[in-house]
Amino acid sequence: MNDREGLERGYRRLLACYPREFRRENEEELLGVLLSTAAGGQRRVGIAEAADLIRGALRARLRLPRQCPPTVRAAVRLMYAGAACELGILVTVIVTESSVRSAILARYPGLTAAQWHAVVLTHLLPDEIGAPVVAGVWLWLAWANGRGRYWARVVFAAIFGVATLSLLSALAEGATTFAPADLVAGAAIWIVHAAAVLLIFSKPSAPFFQPNPNARFFRVAGSPQ
Amino acid sequence: MQEATFLILTALAADSQHGYGILADVSQISGGRVRLRPGTLYTALDRLRGDGLIMVDREEIVEGRLRRYYRLTGEGGERLAAEAARLQANAHAALSRLNPAGGIAT
Repeated sequence: MNDREGLERGYRRLLACYPREFRRENEEELLGVLLSTAAGGQRRVGIAEAADLIRGALRARLRLPRQCPPTVRAAVRLMYAGAACELGILVTVIVTESSVRSAILARYPGLTAAQWHAVVLTHLLPDEIGAPVVAGVWLWLAWANGRGRYWARVVFAAIFGVATLSLLSALAEGATTFAPADLVAGAAIWIVHAAAVLLIFSKPSAPFFQPNPNARFFRVAGSPQ
Repeated sequence: MQEATFLILTALAADSQHGYGILADVSQISGGRVRLRPGTLYTALDRLRGDGLIMVDREEIVEGRLRRYYRLTGEGGERLAAEAARLQANAHAALSRLNPAGGIAT
């Protein structure tokens, strides 16, 4: 294998990160330009080149279709904000874990190591595991709603319903079960969620979410491709 | 409009160009300040085509590889002209306030 073949293989591996449609349209041409701009004798893809291609692939994947109405664009931005809030909660829980421990020990000096372990298991660990998962769901639904997937709008609204019920039931159990900061964070995320639901179900968004009979999700086995 | 987009559209304003030509032209237009990389360029070209601001003028095969020439669409020309006028108005306002007598402050 000569230098050029190795370099081309390296570029192709990175170009595989781009969406299929982008590759079909641009891969061969982009590869030609990459090889033209490569330094003579270059054998490997440079770090800056790799970063540029990965950044380009991310942009191509996150780009919303042109026909996406402004209301859906705003809803997608709110979904990204929701994911950021979840990650913010994760960071807060991790960073403040030791101060939470100090505060609990100050209030309950007799707390044993086993009891503290139980507190972590029941209160902190669910947040630490749950927050990245929920953030992932927000991002996934942002991607799908931004592409007009009919099911994504329904799933997002259903999750909003469940989140509302869980917030109400937690409040009904009594404010004492809620730390004020937790309540504020929960309410902030609920407001973001509610605003995004209103936007994707608004009148200007409706045509973008028409169920597509050709979409794989709705295709019945044996129906025409 | 982002500067990279403005420079790509400017590179295509006079004539059609292929990707490598656009990279070199953007560098020249910006006096070497903006050096686009191929990944950034083609992500932008794909978006601009999707937005109807540029289109493929013709394709050639050179040394076994596809070479595609791009050119501005009517809408692309209008958008570039509007952005250029906006930048010119801003630059004029800045320069006239720096030196009300009409010359450029140094």
